[in-house]
Amino acid sequence: MIGFRLAAQRPPEARRVNDTVVMRFEHVYEVDPALMREHTPQQDIPAWDTLRIVDSRWEHLAWMHDHFADSVLSGEELLEEIEAEEGEQR
Amino acid sequence: MAVAALPDTLIDELVAVCGEEHVFTGRSALFNRARVPAPFPKHRWEDYIPQAVVLPTAAEQVSEVVKLANRHRVPVVPRAGATGLTDGAVPLRHGIVVDVKLMDRILEVDGEDRTVTVQPGINMLKLSEELKPLGFIYPDNPASYPCSLVGGRIGTSGWSLIGGRYGHTRDLVISFEIVLPTGERIRVGDGGGKKVRKSSSGYQLKHLFMGHQGTLGIVTEATLELVKRPEAEFSAFYAYPSYLDAWRATGEFARSGAATLAGVVLFDEWKIAYLRRDDEAYIPQPDWVKGVVAVAMYGNADEVRASAKRMLRIGKASGGTYLGDEISQGDWASRHDRYATPQHGRTRDGQVALMSWHCEDASILYSQLPAVREKWHAVAAGLRERFDMFDDWGMFAYTNGAYKPWGDYLTEIDIGIWEMKWDDESWSAWVDAKREIARIALEHGGSISACHGSCREGEVDLVPEELGGGFEVMKTIKRALDPNNIMNPGKYLLDEAYGEEVGA
Repeated sequence: MIGFRLAAQRPPEARRVNDTVVMRFEHVYEVDPALMREHTPQQDIPAWDTLRIVDSRWEHLAWMHDHFADSVLSGEELLEEIEAEEGEQR
Repeated sequence: MAVAALPDTLIDELVAVCGEEHVFTGRSALFNRARVPAPFPKHRWEDYIPQAVVLPTAAEQVSEVVKLANRHRVPVVPRAGATGLTDGAVPLRHGIVVDVKLMDRILEVDGEDRTVTVQPGINMLKLSEELKPLGFIYPDNPASYPCSLVGGRIGTSGWSLIGGRYGHTRDLVISFEIVLPTGERIRVGDGGGKKVRKSSSGYQLKHLFMGHQGTLGIVTEATLELVKRPEAEFSAFYAYPSYLDAWRATGEFARSGAATLAGVVLFDEWKIAYLRRDDEAYIPQPDWVKGVVAVAMYGNADEVRASAKRMLRIGKASGGTYLGDEISQGDWASRHDRYATPQHGRTRDGQVALMSWHCEDASILYSQLPAVREKWHAVAAGLRERFDMFDDWGMFAYTNGAYKPWGDYLTEIDIGIWEMKWDDESWSAWVDAKREIARIALEHGGSISACHGSCREGEVDLVPEELGGGFEVMKTIKRALDPNNIMNPGKYLLDEAYGEEVGA
């Protein structure tokens, strides 16, 4: 068979994040399906496709960074350096 | 309203100039060039359909098409990426659309004098991809960076996200060749030299032929700055408990004096509420977050590193909470490509509706941002109350001055519009709201637009008020350069420059 069966790729049950957002995969947010009933009904999306879209998003952002500079500095690392420098001064 | 076809003789002449494969009169070619991403009265679509589309491949062809249009008294409308938000490429009087997308070549890279000369149909992202192996970048960076074109950027005189460091379009374009409304080809720049950045010789015509929204000609070639590709990028996003806290911090960042500072972006609480709907960076933010400030820097690695530490100290001293590398880096990267964002509108009962994004922009002084914000949101609320097809998506303020990004801000309010719902009543209310948004900007000492231009229905009514005697000069120039009102007629109230007997 070519293709996939939705039943074999059905996303996990959603857990609520807040009043309007749910989550099925860690850090992958989804608009509450209850809000998508009247005008824009949701489509069935197999789990692999959701994860592919999320991964592609990160690839896209890395690709975009690469358009503008050779490297990206980390604020978290610089904050650690600042704290260390301030500690030495104390 | 049916649109009359152009005479066969004119079509034959266009084919003789551009070639049969580059002249289009079919429905799909015409309908697709009736609108741009700005809100469009789709219930009156036929009012804006051009009569022919040509895709020239050389400046000589553009010139000949414009001369033909003069002889036949048919409007000509230039079109590049068609990503503009003020209808520059919309054919208000039908006519011939000159689509420059096939003129997309790089003509020369001059590493010695640091210029790159291109045709107008090239996209900035693609240009920078070609320049990267040579160690250069062309840093004109609008929200439409992956899809807008150099020719349109000149016609709009647009704003760049990293203009605080590298300048905006007007600072990055050194000179260009333009086909005037009569078909003559001239070159304008900062003086006579094609590659000279500063001259005091004669009138400074470069600025005249930028931002005219296609009313003064069609650019056929441009010489641009060739900029050293940055070694390093740094971006930091800070959260604040109130808009005013974030606004004060924005001023501190912008006035820091760091030469690598490319831009500062202020998000208000409406914007954060909107992003909490479906943006992974903002959904997890705690309820106390009511303002966000983003800072971005580019340049040599050692310089960026030193000034980034300065910014991080300012962030801490101003009471900000650093949102972490994932959000700071990821969200900043997404800012280069805002035409691809999800468009989750909400009706008043909270249901998702697919809405178009629209951004009203103005130049607003730093001191006036809090007051303007309140008034603009009130205008958006009034629209939403009357019509359940508008949605307030919040406001941004971006540093606006090139190389001195501290005094005024490109200020935008984003409004979601359910365009399938348009009718004459809602369109009229929208135009009134746009006029009101522009009036508020002027009342607070601002300008109607920092980036898009101001020639759409509504705000255009206030352009004479904003420019005063300058608007009379605009009309004089328009009539002198375009005696038959051929070039993009109907824009910027410039039809007022002509008597009833003249007009395409």
